[in-house]
Formats: sequence, C-alpha cells, structure tokens
Amino acid sequence: MILLPIFLPVAVGVLLLLPVGQEVLGDAGKAALRALHAVVGVVLLITAVAALTVAWTGPDSLTWFELMRGIPVYFHIDDVSRLFVTVISLIWVLVGVYSFVYMEHEGKERRFFGFYLIVYGVLVALSFSGNLITLYLFYELMTLTSMPLVLHNGSHEAIMAALKYLFYSMCGAYLGLFGIFFLYRCCDTLTFIPGGVLNEAMAAENQTILMIAVFGMLIGFGAKAGMFPLHAWLPTAHPVAPSPASAVMSGIIAKAGVLALIRVVYYIAGPAFIRGTWIQTAWMTLALLTVFMGSMLAFREPVFKKRLAYSTVSQVSYVLFGLSVLSETAMEGALLHVVFHAIIKSALFLTAGVFIFQTDRTRVEELRGIGKKMPCTLWCYTFASLALIGIPPASGFISKWYLAQGAMEGGVGVFGWAGPAVLLLSALLTAGYLLPVVTDGFFPKDTAVVTALPDRGDPPLMMLIPLAILAALTLLLGIFANPLIRFVSGIASSVL
Amino acid sequence: MNAIGLAVAVLLPVAGGILIPLLPFHSRKSRLVYIECVVLATSALTFCLLLHRPEEGVVIFEFTSNLTLSLKLDGLGTVFAGIIAALWPFATLYAFEYMKHEEHEVIFFLFYTVTFGVTLGIALAEDLVTMYCFYEILTLVTLPLVMHTLTREAVLASRTYLYYSLGGAAFAFIGVIFILIYGTTADFVPGGVLNLQKIGEHTNLLLLIYVFCFFGFSVKAAMFPFSGWLPKAGVAPTPVTALLHAVAVVKAGAFTLMRVTYYSFGPQFLQRTWAQTVVMIPVIFTIVYGCSRAVKETHLKRRLAWSTVSNLSYILFGVVLMSPAGLMGGLCHMIFHAVMKICAFFCAGAVIYRSGREYIYQLDGLGRRMPKVFAAFTISGMALMGVPGLCGFISKWNLVRAAIESRNLLGYLGVAALMVSALLTAIYMLTISVRAFFPPKDPNYTEEELGLAPVVSAEAENRVSGTGYRIIPYEEICDPNWMMLLPLAVFVTAMLIFGLHPQPVLDGLSALTAVIR
Amino acid sequence: MELVQNFPFFSIILALFSGPLCSILDRGAARRVNTAVILIIGVMSLMVLHFTISTGASYVYQMGHFPAPWGNEIRVGQLEACMASFFCVVMLLCMLSGRRELEREVQTTKQNLYYAMIGLLLSSLLALIYTNDLFTAYVFVEINTISACGLIMIRQNGRTLEAAMRYMIMSLLGSGLLLMGICFLYDLTGHLLMSNIKESVGELAASGMYHVPLLITICLISVGIAIKSALFPFHAWLPDAYGYSTLSSSAILSSLVSKGYIFLLIKIFYRVIGFDVIRESKVINVLFVFGIMGMILGSVFAIQENHIRRMIAYSSVAQIGYIYMGFGLGTTAGMIAALYHILSHAATKSLLFVAASGLTDVSDDRTDFLGLTGAGYRNILAGMAFTVGSLSMVGTPAFAGFISKLLFAQAAYETTHKLVLALVALAVSTVLNAVYFMKTVIRLYTPGWRAGLEVSGTRIRIKDQPLKSAMLVCFVILNLFLGLCSEPVVRLLAEGLERFA
Repeated sequence: MILLPIFLPVAVGVLLLLPVGQEVLGDAGKAALRALHAVVGVVLLITAVAALTVAWTGPDSLTWFELMRGIPVYFHIDDVSRLFVTVISLIWVLVGVYSFVYMEHEGKERRFFGFYLIVYGVLVALSFSGNLITLYLFYELMTLTSMPLVLHNGSHEAIMAALKYLFYSMCGAYLGLFGIFFLYRCCDTLTFIPGGVLNEAMAAENQTILMIAVFGMLIGFGAKAGMFPLHAWLPTAHPVAPSPASAVMSGIIAKAGVLALIRVVYYIAGPAFIRGTWIQTAWMTLALLTVFMGSMLAFREPVFKKRLAYSTVSQVSYVLFGLSVLSETAMEGALLHVVFHAIIKSALFLTAGVFIFQTDRTRVEELRGIGKKMPCTLWCYTFASLALIGIPPASGFISKWYLAQGAMEGGVGVFGWAGPAVLLLSALLTAGYLLPVVTDGFFPKDTAVVTALPDRGDPPLMMLIPLAILAALTLLLGIFANPLIRFVSGIASSVL
Repeated sequence: MNAIGLAVAVLLPVAGGILIPLLPFHSRKSRLVYIECVVLATSALTFCLLLHRPEEGVVIFEFTSNLTLSLKLDGLGTVFAGIIAALWPFATLYAFEYMKHEEHEVIFFLFYTVTFGVTLGIALAEDLVTMYCFYEILTLVTLPLVMHTLTREAVLASRTYLYYSLGGAAFAFIGVIFILIYGTTADFVPGGVLNLQKIGEHTNLLLLIYVFCFFGFSVKAAMFPFSGWLPKAGVAPTPVTALLHAVAVVKAGAFTLMRVTYYSFGPQFLQRTWAQTVVMIPVIFTIVYGCSRAVKETHLKRRLAWSTVSNLSYILFGVVLMSPAGLMGGLCHMIFHAVMKICAFFCAGAVIYRSGREYIYQLDGLGRRMPKVFAAFTISGMALMGVPGLCGFISKWNLVRAAIESRNLLGYLGVAALMVSALLTAIYMLTISVRAFFPPKDPNYTEEELGLAPVVSAEAENRVSGTGYRIIPYEEICDPNWMMLLPLAVFVTAMLIFGLHPQPVLDGLSALTAVIR
Repeated sequence: MELVQNFPFFSIILALFSGPLCSILDRGAARRVNTAVILIIGVMSLMVLHFTISTGASYVYQMGHFPAPWGNEIRVGQLEACMASFFCVVMLLCMLSGRRELEREVQTTKQNLYYAMIGLLLSSLLALIYTNDLFTAYVFVEINTISACGLIMIRQNGRTLEAAMRYMIMSLLGSGLLLMGICFLYDLTGHLLMSNIKESVGELAASGMYHVPLLITICLISVGIAIKSALFPFHAWLPDAYGYSTLSSSAILSSLVSKGYIFLLIKIFYRVIGFDVIRESKVINVLFVFGIMGMILGSVFAIQENHIRRMIAYSSVAQIGYIYMGFGLGTTAGMIAALYHILSHAATKSLLFVAASGLTDVSDDRTDFLGLTGAGYRNILAGMAFTVGSLSMVGTPAFAGFISKLLFAQAAYETTHKLVLALVALAVSTVLNAVYFMKTVIRLYTPGWRAGLEVSGTRIRIKDQPLKSAMLVCFVILNLFLGLCSEPVVRLLAEGLERFA
C-alpha cells in the first residue's frame, strides 16, 4: 500500500516519457492534450489521496527489499513524514492544476508532466523513507528527475542553469554520502529513531572525523535548502525554469534538503552529539549569514523571479536556523515555517508565472500598474507577501515568533539575541523587496505604464483558483494555527 | 570437471584465432559464425569450469623445474575469468557489426580472439611466473589491435602503449623474481607466501621491491603517472577500447596487483608500512586526476578512457587498503565497472558508427535520433556516478566501508577523493546526456563549424572526420541494429540487477576474501 | 687416452690450416672447404661435449706430451666444449646467411681471403676457449684481432677502412694492456701455465705479499679485455665496425669475437687468479659500475640512432654491459647468468643482423627508419625474425632474453648492497630496449601508404632467398630453444663452471 503513491506516478511518468502513443496522449493536438491533462490530473489526484490515506491511516512501515545485507530499502511513516507528505501533496496537486494552462505557454507538455509525476512519486518516497540509505536513494533520484524541469525551455541559459543545479545538488549529495559512510560505521543502525542512533563508544573513538563528516552532511544537504556556501544554484535555476517548476522547486524541493537535515540531525546523529560543539556554532552562523545575505541580494535584484529565488535562499535558512538551535520551541518554529513557506513561496512563484503568462514581463519595474489589469492576482500576491514578511495574523508571523522565541530560550550564547535580530532585520528587508511590487502595482505613479501593459486581465480560472487557494491558506493557517502547532510540538518533543 | 579443461579454455581461443586467416571461408558470414562459435565455446567451457571447479592445477609447459606455466582456478581467478567470459561473446557480436566499416577484419579478429585466451590465462594462472608470462604476452597480442587503423595517431599510440606496458612489466619482473626467491612457493596462496625467516632484517629493502612491483603492474591499470597510454590508445576500434581498455587489459593490471598484494606478498606484511603509504598516495591522486582530465576532454572515447583511469584507481584503492574488506570492495568494483564502462563504450561506439561524430560538442540532439543508445549511455553514466539502485553505488559503498574500517588517515582521504570523483563523474557523464537529449534551441555555432553541414556535393560525400569516419547527416542517424543493441540491453539489465540485488555477488566475494588474513 | 680427447687440438689445427688452404683454392672450393671445416669442427666439439658430460670431469691435454712448465696445455671441460660447439653453430649460420651479401659486396678476388680470415678467426676463438696457457692465449688474441680487422676491412668502402683502423688501434691498446698484465703475472709468479700461476697467486694472496702489483695486474688484464670486448666507455670503435662491414662480419663480430675475449676474462678470473682473489680486489665493483653504465647508455645511444645496423650495434654495447654486470655481482650465479647471456646474446644479435639485412634488401638498401616503413610486409620472414629477436632483447617470456634476464635478477638477489642498483638497472634497460626495438618493429609493420611516405622496394618471398630464409628459421629455433628449454643449458653451464676452476 505504501508503494502505491510512489509507483503510480513514477510509472505513469515514465510511460509519458517513452516515445509511444504521442498522437493519442501528448502535445500534438488539442484532443491529445486534453487527454494528457485528464490522465495527469487523475493520476495526481489518486496519488495524493493514496499518499494521504497511507500517511494518516495506513500501515506504519514496510521493508521493500534488501539492497545489501543489513541495508534495507525501508519505509517508515512518522509524524515528520506525515507533515511533509501532506504539504507536498497539497502543493503538487494545486501547482499541477495551475500548470495545465500555464504549460501551453511553454510547450512540450508531455515531457514536463512526465517528469512532474516522477518527481512527485520520488518525493512521496523521500518523505516515507525510514532509514538514511533509502533517504539518500530518493534524494539523488529527486535531483536527477527534477533537473529536466529546470531545463524545460531548452535555451542555452536553461541548460546551463540545469547543469548548475545538478552539479550543486550532486556536490551536496556526495558530501552527504561521505557523512553517511562514517555514520554507518559509528551507528548501530541507520533507521531513523527520534533522538539519534549513534553508538557512543564508536562515536567517542572517532570523534573528530565523525564531526567533520556530520558537518559535511549539513553543508551537503544544505545545498538543496539553499544554504550558504552552496546556494548559488537557486537564483540561476529559478528564473529560467517554468514558473510551476520554480514554485515546486522553491516550495518543496528545497524543503527536501530540510527534511534530510532533520533526519540526520534529529534522527541519526542526535541533537546531543551536536549541541555545544563547533558544528552547532558554525551551522548557526552559516544559517544566519544566509538569511541576511539572501534578503540583501533579493532586495537589490531587479528580475522578479530571481528576487523570489533569493528570498527562498533567505527564508529556508530561517528553517535551518530554527533547526540549528536544537531547542523545542525553535524546532516547532522551523517546522511551521516549512509548511508556511512552502505555501507562500509557491503562491508567489505562481503569481510570477501569471505575470509571465499574461504579459511576458519578468522585471520588477515592468510590473508597475499590473494591479489595475489583474487585481485578483495581485491581491493573492499581497496576502502571500504579508504572510512572508510576518505580519500578524498571517501565517509567517507565527513561525517567526516561535523561531525567535526558541533562539532566545535555546541557551546558545550570543546567538540568543543575534539570531532574532537578524531575523527581524531580514523581515524588514523582506518587506522592502516584496511590497514595492504591491504598491507600484496598484498605485502606479504614472498611469502611462498601465496603458502600456498588454490588455489582458486575470488569468483563466484553472490558474487563478490554485493561486487563490494557496493565498487563502497563507492567511487561514495563520488564524487557525493551533492544530498544526500541536502537531509540530509533538514532533519536537519526541526528538528533543 | 577435469583440470585439462583449464588448458583447453586458454588454448582454444588462441588456436581458434590463429586459424581464422588459415581456414578457407566462403563468405564473411561463415567466418563470423566460426569466430562467434569459438568464443562461445570458450565462454561455455569457462563457465563449466567455474561451476565445477577442478581441484588440481594443470601444467602447460615447463621452462625449468621451478619455472612452469601452470593453470589453476581459485576464487579470485573465478571472478576475473567470469567477467571476461561473460563479456567476450557480447563484445564479439558487437564487433561484427562495428568492424563493417573498418579494414583488415581478419587480422583484427585473429588478435581479438587470441587475446581472449591470453586474458583467461592471466585469470587462471596458478603462480606468479605464469601470470607474468601471460601478462607480457597480453601486451604483445593487443598491440596490433591498438595500431589497427595504422594511421599515424594509431602507430604513435601503440608505441606509447608498448613502452609503458613493457616498462611496467620490467619493474614488475623485479617483484616476480623476489617472490621466486624469498617466497616459500611461487604459487598463489591467500595471505601471501613470504618466507619471513629468509627475509630477516631486510624488511625495508623488500618493501622497496614491493613498491617497484606495484608501480610496475599499475602501468596496465593506468595509475598516475603511468596513465598517459590509455586515452591515447582510444584510437583503436571501439570494440577494442570497450573490451580491452575498459575491461580485459586494464583489469588484468588490477588483477595482477591483487594477486601480488594478497596472494604473494601478503597484506599482513605490507599493512601499515611506509610502502602502503607510498602506493596509496598516487592511487588516491589518480582517482581525482582521471576524473578531472575526463571533464576537460572533448573527445568522447578519450573522455571515457580518462574515466576508466579514475575508476581503475577505485579498484586499486580497494587493493591498497590491504584488508580483506578492501579486496572485496576492489573486486566488486572490478565486476561492476566492467559492466558499466563496457556499456558506455559500446554506446560511444554506436554513436561513432552510426553518426561519424566523435567529439562531444557534435552530439547535440543525437538523443532524439538514437534514443535507445543514449538511454543506455545515461544509465551507465548514472551507474558510474554511484546513483543508488545501480551497481556503481554498491561497489562504492563496499570500498568506502573498507576504507573507513581501515582507520587509516589516507583511507579517509580516499573516501573524500571518491566523493569528489563521483561529482566529477556526474559532470562529465551527464553533460553528454543533457546535450544529447536537450539540445540548445539556439546553438551559438553553425553546422559548418562542426563539420556537420548537410552533404551537398559528391566531394563532400566522401569527406571524413578526423580519424576516418564519414560524417552522416543528422536526419539519417538512427539506432543501430540488434547486434549492437542486444549487448547494450544486457548490460543495462545487469547494472540494474547488480544494483538492486547485489547480495549474492557480495556473499560470494566476501566468502572469497575471508580466507585472506 | 681416447680419440675424442684429441679433438679440441685437432679442431684448432684444422681451423688454422684451413685458412692458408682457402687462400690458394678457387672461390667456390674455398667456400665449400670453409663450410665443411666449420661443420666438422662443430661435430667434433659436440662429440667432445658429449664426452666431457659423460665423464663428468675436465681433462688436460698436453701437446706433444711435454709436461709443464715446458709444454703447452689444453684443458677441456663441459663449459669449454659447450662454448666451442655453440660458437661453431653460430658461425656456420652467420656464414651461410651472409653468403649472398659477401658475394655482392666483396671483390671476387678477395673472397678467398675472407674465408681464410674466417678460418683464422675460428681457430683463435677455439684456442682462446681451450688453452690453458696464458701466453698462447695472448698469441691467439692477436691472431683474433688481425683476422677480425680483416673481416671488417674486406668490404672496401671508406667507412669500413676507418672503422678497421679504429678497431685496430683500440684492440692493440687492449692487447698491449693484456700483455703487460701477463708480464706482471709472469714476473710475480714465474709461470705462464694457468694452473701453476693460480697456485702461486693463491700463496701470494694468502701471504699478503705483492698486494699492489697483483691489483695492478688484475686491473691491466681487465681493462685490456674490456677494451677489446667494447665495454662502455671503450665502445667507440664498435658501431662503425659492426654497422658497415659485410653481413657475416657484423654478425660474427658482434656475436662471437667479443664473446671470445669475455670467455678469456672468465678463464683468467677463475683459472689464473682465482675468483676469491678477484672478488676481494674490488675490481669487480668497477666492472659492475661500468657494466650498468653500459647497459643504460648503450641503449640511450641506440635510441638516438637512425641507422638500423648501427642501432643493433649499439645494442651490443648494452648487452655487453649486462655480461659485465653479471661478473660484477661477484657470485657464481652472476657468472652463470653472464655465461648464459653470452649464448643468448650471440644467438639473438646475429639473428637481428641477418634479419635487418633481409629488411634492408626489400627497402632499396635504405637503412634509415623511414626507408624501412612497411618492410615487414615485403619480407615476411625477415620481419618475423626481427620481431622475435626484438622480443628476445626486450626479455619477453618464451625467448632467450627472458631467461638471461631472469638469471641476472635471481643472481642479483643473492647480493645485498648491489641488489637494488642491479634490479633497477635491469628494469630501466629493459624499458630502453623496448623503446628502440619495438619502435623498429612497429615501423616495420606500418604500411608506407598510411604513413604518407613514398617507400619503394620489391617484395622478397621465402623461395627467393632459400638459404638466408632457412638460416633465419634456424636462428629463430635456436632462440626459442634457449628460451624454452633453458634448464639443461643452465645446468650444463653451472656444472661446467664448477669444474672449470
């Protein structure tokens, strides 16, 4: 049963990639395209339903097969899996619906949806992974299969960006693998168990090398999460990818790095191993540096999608900072921010997609007056922006609150006040780079720009509805956050 | 199974190969059928021998009373003989199709078949002298294959190959004699044959001899600084580069090193000595060096050759860990790399054969025309990178495990080198796949610049690329026929099976290496 | 005394007298006489060999039954008989295979003279092998020198005349030093017969008297013979002498003449002065060093050479270096290796010369490498023979060179301080050998049209040159025999050496 939501999309995706039946199901004609949309939509829905059913009601674990003796490919569903798989499914389905229309603009839908489905399956598997090897397996597959989403439009820059993405991710993955090798040596098992599985005798014996290895993993998996120093792929890859791809890359795939880090830190190495060591200090420093740097770069970035990409760099490092504090409150904040940021950033990228779809405008200054043409879209953008900045009662406020509180309670010395300070500064910067689009969009100083815009209004409903849902969620989750907070505090208290 | 079978397995392809130009064949087809029959018979015989392993050895020839050519099958030999016997029939089949566009086919198949026997001889050798002899002969019988096209490049490459190989053998010879004199026997015994009493206080001298011997044999395994010959030898026809320069010859180098290290000198004697350090450093360096050269290289086959350089040093890295686990990792990579690299080379060969394009920048969009070939190429590339689920990951895992267990600082460094190398592998393999499947819409160079402009005149019709392949217009390129695709399919399947269910292989290998202490 | 015991003496005399006989006969008859004499001597030597093996001891043959110190003695054992037979075989093969060149390159009137010289040379070689008298040895050394000069000069072009002059001067210098050494010995001991000298030298060495004069004697003799046998750095005369003389001369000079001197040196080491004394004198260390330098530098010179026969000649310098290195190891095993290398090198080097001439024949007599492009296709047998010779030189298993390399390496392991040097030298020299020999082989099998060269030359099939082809086959068989069935030969040499002193 666990395998169904993994295999169904992968199988259908692979079928779509094979060069058969192009006329019936594909981008050849109107009818074929409609059939393609139908198939993809159905598969997405079935998968989402199956994944959620499995996650919330199904069996807990499954050993699929043994890769090598003692190294099974093993799935185990715990609360973290549930959290992630829910977010993934939600966003994947919504963005999928959005891209039915959007991808007409880009072409080669069959290939896009093929990879889109495969990545979905891989992500579900990634969140169900029950041990480190399985996680690594699907992590690499995710990199490889999501790469074609980036290079979709086939221009030279797109290919270069995709390769950059690939090589940064690979670099990160291999740093992770390096650590896995040492952890395998020093742990009793690689199965995820809250609090870690480190064999203390072995760990004490190999203290130095193990620390280096774990730090390597932090950097490595941090690459996907856009943490300095391996963050540079994000601003290159996002502007050239189709907007739905950017949305899921920022919203979900960057979070896969977070998931891997949670697993490594809280379920394998254990917070006790890291707490108070130079690893923690370095990690916190890097995270805060990235938060600040991302915001600064976003602030002075004129290309809209690139600005959002830098924003992702900054925001995901909020999560990483929360994780690095190793205190319950901070971790709750981090997990909340995972959810909120996924939704918010997807919404933002979808907005950017709408702008491109309707007007082909990519630079911020070209978007002046856009609110006059497409008010609904810009309202959605506004809600999402407010949430990201952290204005109560929108969702971002809650996660940031918990993060700051956690940092101050965490007993991490100077970071106790430096962290919240940086977060606050970054929030201000966030406001600085997101809100001008809103103000200039609704209230252009010069009405000439409005008439210069192409005469196209809000996008078709197929695009607008997913966007609206996401925007609504940014607000609603902030207002009705209690169940979610209870859920994440359960996770946090189990590992700390 | 009688031990005579061993001698037959070695001599059958040798004799069968020599007979090729002598027998009167009516047509090309009947000759090819004959060749395939010889190869298949040898493979079948070898597998029979592997399954029913004869206990005793057999003496083929006696130089002197203490210097015999004798064959015996043991665990390590089983692995190598198995690899060769499994791959040769496929490679021959592939060569039938490929060699259509090359000349002097008869001579080519003569040496190609003889090489089979000689390589089996290395695998089945009972003692060091026999192995050394076959090792030298291997150099000589593969020489005509390297210089097959007889162009200036090919001749220069074959010269380089010869100098390197014979030079290496000369140094290895020192070690061979050493074992003859200081060993209790020249036969291969797991754990080594050194007579420690006889050695007395000269330990350092003898370690020096080991280092000489290691560097000598490592020439065939293309370790830095002796790796230059391998990419140059890429001028040979692809069946040669694929089978010999990715599997038979270079693995023979690695295999001899395993023999020398684990079955003659003995890991016990070498462990944690300066000799181990001295041999480990170049091995680790080569792992990275080979990859970085591959990234720089723009010629398809030469890039794969550099990749082989790096991957062979993975095997050697296992060897120089001087522990049973290390040997197991090395053997594992020996098997898996054979499959992965031969697959990659066959794809490259199919591309050259079907399109006449040899440089990577000429491959834009070929994935559309030859989807099957490039799919196989991508899979083998991912396997080489070590994507879990494919076989490369398994061998890398075992190698690294051994390295970490060795608790040696250089071992850790080696692990890091493996990771760097994996990244570089991703770069040099996947860029090709991306180019082939996702060609840039607006290439900033024209077809003329690539030498790929559509053929317009009769004169241009005969135009050939650098090494004599005719460039074929883009629209006419397509996947090759079954003789080339079948091996690819088999190899891809093997990569998947080994990647997903490697346990039987690993069990076999660990049983084999467990006898070494 | 059995008849067969007389044979050594007979063969020396027979060879000696065949010389004058050939000079008065007409050309064809002289040729036949020469061939017959070599053949007969070969058969006699083999019979002697058989006899000495069956008795298992060496015997002394007194000429005219005069006992020492007045009489002249011959001493015959396995080793001597073995060498004699082998020299005859090689000489016969060389003569037969060089016949066509001889008739083409040498004036008709001088051909008789050539056969006479060969007779003298053979007789002097045999005498050097068999004699037990130091002065007799000296006399035959001189005869050897003169006849060898004749062999070089007989092809009268400028290069050979110059080469012969050089050879003459160097050789005479060597002879002079040798003579001085013999004089010193005579002065110190009062004897000329080898066995007597050895006794006296043993006493001198034990008493510690005349230490310096004895050392000087050893040096003089060693250097003298080293010059004559072209040990580096005294090799300057060699490439021209071997490179430009007629084929049989080159083959015989390279494979036999220098080996005769070397055998004499071994004899002096073992039978005159005593190997223990030699070993203590440290002279062998000097020989070792120069041997190694010869091994390396000879090959380096050969690599730079563009003339195929001169290249092979330079290779001789390297090979002689091997032999001296074997001496220099100072062990019995080293000496056996050196002796074996004398055999294997003699067989291989003459093979190479003959094959090279076969290859130049089909390349319009061009001797440079470009000219030889593709020659292996035009003369298949010569090409294959050259390949065999090259592989043997490189030390590929199954060929003679492999066994000598093996023996040298094994011998090296018996020493300690020379071990690494000797082994590295062996390895490096193998690499260098590979460089120039295999380069040539590859060149032979590169078709000219591919290399973009205009190469002309007619094809030669086996039946065009039956004699030479047959001889090439014989050489190849000889080489393979030494490579594959070396054990009896090595045993023979080892036993012979044991009974030699």
